[in-house]
Amino acid sequence: MTALAAAAVWLQPVLLATLALRVAAGDADAPWLALGALIAPLVALVAPPRRASASNPVAAAATAAAVTLVLAADFMVAADAATLLGAAPWLGVALAAALSLLVPLLPGARRVSAPALAIAAGALLLPLVSVALTTGTAPWTAWSRGGLRPSLTFPETSGWVRDGERFARPARLTFAEGQRVTTLTAGVYRVVERDAAEPTVREWRLAAGETLTLRPGDELSVEAGARLRFEAGRRVPGAPASGIAWADAPARSPSMLPAAFGALATLVGGALALVPAPRRGPPAAAGPLVLLAATAAAVGWGVYAAATAPDLALGGSLLAPILSLPLRALGPRTGAPLAVLALVALVALLLTAVVALRARLAAAAGSAPTRWAAAVSLAAALTAAPLDPWRVLALGLGVAAAAGTPSLVAGGRAVGLVGSIVGVAVFVALAAMPSVDPAMGSWLEPLARYPALVAMPLGWAAARALSAMTGRGDATQSIVRK
Amino acid sequence: MSVPRGRRTAIAVLLVLLAGAPLLALAPAAPGAVRVAGVSLLWWYTGLVAPLLATAITIAVLVRRGE
Repeated sequence: MTALAAAAVWLQPVLLATLALRVAAGDADAPWLALGALIAPLVALVAPPRRASASNPVAAAATAAAVTLVLAADFMVAADAATLLGAAPWLGVALAAALSLLVPLLPGARRVSAPALAIAAGALLLPLVSVALTTGTAPWTAWSRGGLRPSLTFPETSGWVRDGERFARPARLTFAEGQRVTTLTAGVYRVVERDAAEPTVREWRLAAGETLTLRPGDELSVEAGARLRFEAGRRVPGAPASGIAWADAPARSPSMLPAAFGALATLVGGALALVPAPRRGPPAAAGPLVLLAATAAAVGWGVYAAATAPDLALGGSLLAPILSLPLRALGPRTGAPLAVLALVALVALLLTAVVALRARLAAAAGSAPTRWAAAVSLAAALTAAPLDPWRVLALGLGVAAAAGTPSLVAGGRAVGLVGSIVGVAVFVALAAMPSVDPAMGSWLEPLARYPALVAMPLGWAAARALSAMTGRGDATQSIVRK
Repeated sequence: MSVPRGRRTAIAVLLVLLAGAPLLALAPAAPGAVRVAGVSLLWWYTGLVAPLLATAITIAVLVRRGE
């Protein structure tokens, strides 16, 4: 397999869109997630190929589950795209699922996929280059400008101010200053007022065109699909308090280290389990270069969105920074074709990703078309649940890591199987913890978010211990994949 | 089969580069927040230096057919 084809497994639209949104929103973990999204697949490309004995039924089932979850996360992005374009979310899911079912079955799909990936990564960079050249703003200048804003407010040109926009997913907005919000879709709006010792909860049944007056500290709950209009010049609710808060995320503290390493372990483990080993030689350089271009594009979209339009992250839509930035930065005449180009690039990335995921599923669990159809159908069904796409992606990568990586250090198939069983059992137990005990200690929260942090080493330890006991281990052997 | 030394070294360097990001961001006294030419040290590292180094190391390993 070429390095480009191997990279296609990793470059999922959900990964790049999440990165762009997190950078735009100034999330505390955005810098290391951006770096992890690049280095994790690079580690997998460098690691040596796996021997045949490294696969086992548990790892195969976990790979199938991972492929399904990753597909589901991608379909959630398709639902976001449909919402942004004014269509019903299910329409986006149905279209993405239909393409995912059909495209991998087309003759020559795998052959075309690798060059298509390189073109898509370039197409994702092109609108950014256009924004940079037209506005005369280098990425570091955009970052610096974004970081110097005294406050993050709605500009006059914002869609949230002019015609109102839709929320792609449920949101809780905390208002730092008073603001009148106009509801453009009828519904029940829940406001938590915090101006007294005891918070007061009020529910307002409002018709389209009615206005809610919110005071500083109030919290407004919005359902997915609700359309609201805000006041120009007012602070964006839920956004960082200032440019400095966006740049330096005051929430960052050493207590975030377990979650940070959990996220990075999940990314690296998931990449080792899912990204196949490529053929070596000069053409293999294309794989790392495309990974660099795509992740740089995602970070760039986020930085320019934060500097140009800090309200783009408000609706929670993963695609808002990518689809709306060209329009806001360059106006509709120049921006609209670039937004379309970015959308086409994301669709191409989805198609190359599904071709690669189908090959991964076929390698792990057999190439029967019914298995791929079942994975796509299940993934589409999962989008009906109100799940966060990043959480779904992390679960997919995590379960692949927990089951797949222990078998990489095992000395034989049986030993690898035991490692995979231990890894998956620990992963499921930790992932289910918030449902079983909602009042669990806060120190357990990073482990529940990223169970692979513990599941992988325990699976490795079990495999190593059994290897040592049975004398079938090889202490110097590590990280072998196919 | 042991992992060839070049690949093993490359994997170790890549993981060290990766671990550097949260350590730089979350270390006491926030060294990552120091501005260099208007951009924080953390973003110079995670957005430019580490990605370029990691890509160069990976390409160097992948283009060699010997290992």
